[in-house]
Amino acid sequence: MISLQVNGDEHTVDVPDTKPLLWVLREDLKLTGSKYGCGQALCGACTVHLDGQPTRACVVPVSAAAGHRIDTIEAVDQQRIGALVQQAWQALNVPQCGYCQSGQIMAATALLTSNPSPSDRDIDEAMSGNICRCGTYPRIRKAIHKIASEQL
Amino acid sequence: MDTMLKRRQFLRVTALAGGGLLVACGGGSSSSPSPTPPDSSNPDSAPGNGGDPAETFAVGEFLRISSDNSIRVLVGASEIGQGALTAIPMIVAEELDADWSRVTSAHSPVAAQFDNPYFGALQFTVASAATRGYFAAQRRAGAAVRHMLIAAAAERWNVEPSTLRTEKSFVIDDANQRSASYGDLAEAAAAQNVPINPPLKDPANYTIIGSTRQRLDAVRKTNGSEIYGMDVDIPGMLTAVIARPPRFFGQPQSVNSNAALAIPGVLEVFTIPSGVAVIANDFWSAEQGRKALEVSWNEALAGRTDSAQTRSNYQASLNLPGVPVRSDGAVLLAQAAASDVLSADYFFPFMAHAAMEPLNVTVDYTGSAAEIWTGSQSQTIDRLFAASILGLLPEQINFHTMTSGGGFGRRGNPLSDYVRDACHVAKTLQQPVKVIWTREDDMKGGYYRPAASVRVSAALDNNGTITAWTHRAVTQDVTSSLYFEEQLDTLAEMELPPLGELNDLETGMPYAIDNVHMDAHLTLIPQMPSLWMRSVNKFSDVFAQETFIDEIAHRYSRDPYHYRREMLGNNPRLLAVLDGVAQAANWGNPPAGRSQGIALIAHWQSYIAQVVEVSVTGDRELKVHRVVSAIDCGTAVNPDLVVAQVESGVIFALSSVLFGEIELRDGVVQQSNFDDYPVLRMHQTPQIDTVLMPSGDNPGGVGEIGVPAVGPALANAIFAATGEQIRELPLKNLNFVIA
Ligand code: FES
Ligand code: FES
Repeated sequence: MISLQVNGDEHTVDVPDTKPLLWVLREDLKLTGSKYGCGQALCGACTVHLDGQPTRACVVPVSAAAGHRIDTIEAVDQQRIGALVQQAWQALNVPQCGYCQSGQIMAATALLTSNPSPSDRDIDEAMSGNICRCGTYPRIRKAIHKIASEQL
Repeated sequence: MDTMLKRRQFLRVTALAGGGLLVACGGGSSSSPSPTPPDSSNPDSAPGNGGDPAETFAVGEFLRISSDNSIRVLVGASEIGQGALTAIPMIVAEELDADWSRVTSAHSPVAAQFDNPYFGALQFTVASAATRGYFAAQRRAGAAVRHMLIAAAAERWNVEPSTLRTEKSFVIDDANQRSASYGDLAEAAAAQNVPINPPLKDPANYTIIGSTRQRLDAVRKTNGSEIYGMDVDIPGMLTAVIARPPRFFGQPQSVNSNAALAIPGVLEVFTIPSGVAVIANDFWSAEQGRKALEVSWNEALAGRTDSAQTRSNYQASLNLPGVPVRSDGAVLLAQAAASDVLSADYFFPFMAHAAMEPLNVTVDYTGSAAEIWTGSQSQTIDRLFAASILGLLPEQINFHTMTSGGGFGRRGNPLSDYVRDACHVAKTLQQPVKVIWTREDDMKGGYYRPAASVRVSAALDNNGTITAWTHRAVTQDVTSSLYFEEQLDTLAEMELPPLGELNDLETGMPYAIDNVHMDAHLTLIPQMPSLWMRSVNKFSDVFAQETFIDEIAHRYSRDPYHYRREMLGNNPRLLAVLDGVAQAANWGNPPAGRSQGIALIAHWQSYIAQVVEVSVTGDRELKVHRVVSAIDCGTAVNPDLVVAQVESGVIFALSSVLFGEIELRDGVVQQSNFDDYPVLRMHQTPQIDTVLMPSGDNPGGVGEIGVPAVGPALANAIFAATGEQIRELPLKNLNFVIA
């Protein structure tokens, strides 16, 4: 039995220690907002916050996540910056297929939380681990700048 | 469009119990059973959910106006990121004069009345055909219902319908200062006659079409609540992964599943035609089980395609005449009279679509009925294949088109490969099961953009005027496999899509050249699964055409923009976007240290010209700084979504041009994930500027038009910077370091 603290709630799951956090979230806790894209920490679709840090849940064994605060897309609106990111994404029509966007939003929220006025270079560094096959990068960059300049 | 007109005559409007109105369009073709009214006692029973299969087939809700004045539109096209679930409802809402803030949308069931008129009897979201295919029919349907709402109000108020107007889901009687909401009138409207040819709006009066609107799925796609196929969860559902042969179409020969079955959570291992299925309680157990599996494969009939061999075979074929696809004037005579004849050969590798959501299908098969959930661009054909495998009638399958995490053609496979696999698993299991493809399965799973060789030649007079042009393509015909599969019988009853739009024949060379000969070799390689990929053969054919034009222009000291201009006199729409992009990109005056390249294409009833700005350092560090596009897509239904599609196309093209390559060695795919199959990332993304120049004609396709000209414009910019002629892709293989 492993105890997890996800979006402020305590959960106990009966799974192998090595099962990745991503699949525990998706299959055992039914939180399917975090996506599987590569399973190898190459695409960022599975990005969650572990103690506030953007983390690729597909390569974190669930046992390593125990004892840490886990936040996912389903509750990111409870962070002020998370809610701003969602609103800016909507206003600028950022999502296309949308499959990468949970990860993009978690990464952008972490960036803006630690750095309220990121430069283009800061955005490149924070966001280049998140692939978007639909090519929404220009709008993601624009949305991050918009939040930083208008709301932070 | 004749069929469409016929179909709209079947528009049926029914009062909903408790108020509201339901519009259905029954009878996909004259041979269909006559439509039965939907079950109005249960307005929430979506068509396709159980019930009499014949009724499910013949009747479908299309549009629902509820008594609370909300409107729901069901869409037959698939949402693959392009915005179909927003743009298509906008078309209906425009002619209906609906209050857009109260409009929602969802995928339709699979049924004839939701077929894309562009393809005839198919729901098929390929060939950039969603908006342009549904446009006319959706307008007519919206206009017909509006007409009926006005008629109902006129009856209620005892006035002439012509004295009434509509606005934002209200019928308004200005003379008597009264109004009624659509929701309020809906029940009475259902009793009105359905007009066969309702008058349509003058486009000058559009208030929704042509205006930027937020995507209807924007909220769901930013809070994790959108449900993709990968997220489907039904009671009692198991998870399967499939061990596939290292070479395409190998067969499992012997399987030792002891170690796999020893993994906790693994329940069953069995063979299906394409491999060995490992069934488990969850994905992680299934994946561990698959790793523990020992399979030996019979590769007697397996594919042995080898990229290097393909290239040399194709190169040899370039010397042989192919099947002519266009012949104007007398090329040989013109060549004999020319002062110079130049030619160039090109090669393009196999490429994977690599949509963000790996393939997956959930099937619940009970023996007498089935439900299927998957992101699909080809649900009509998928359901037919599923029916043939499961031994059901298509109408006995409730097929849920899920929002796709990208498609790019991979989810529009007329051979339904991944749906067939999942049905084989479900047939054995007879329990709900989700078949998940890992990224590696998806990358190695075939159905790639086919490799291609192209030879172009130009005959020139002393002034550098092109007097003759030839174009020869050698590639695999992605449509030919349709005719080679055993399942031909399943498809035989169906109309195949207009293959000319989908296949690999390039005829669209737009320049005014008197003598043109284009031919093609379409090789058939049944063991090498290939498929259309976003922008199809235009990716390679336009690359060759448009880079070669620049080589010629350079040789005769002509500016590439002006040189093109002079050959486009008969093509005002291409000329307009060419001039538009030259102006927007400040052609001829790039910032210091940068070079520009230009290219264009007209296809899918749209027109685009693009300028790419690059810098190349002495040690071959290549940076793409800016891409400017000017596009005429006729009518831009939602201009911001058109811009988004062009941005998307530019980035998709850059991934392909810079990095895109699947390499096969003796039949084995060498790539597996995003480390060895890189795609463009944020730090490599240039500034992208897009100018819309809609001519007001019918909408053209926008999903692919942003792709094909980017590569040649980029290569032309490199040529301008370095004098190097790019004759093959991807650029990473030419020792460029991508910054
Ligand atoms: S799924 Fe975790 S980084 Fe791709
Ligand atoms: S929106 Fe489709 S992958 Fe990013």
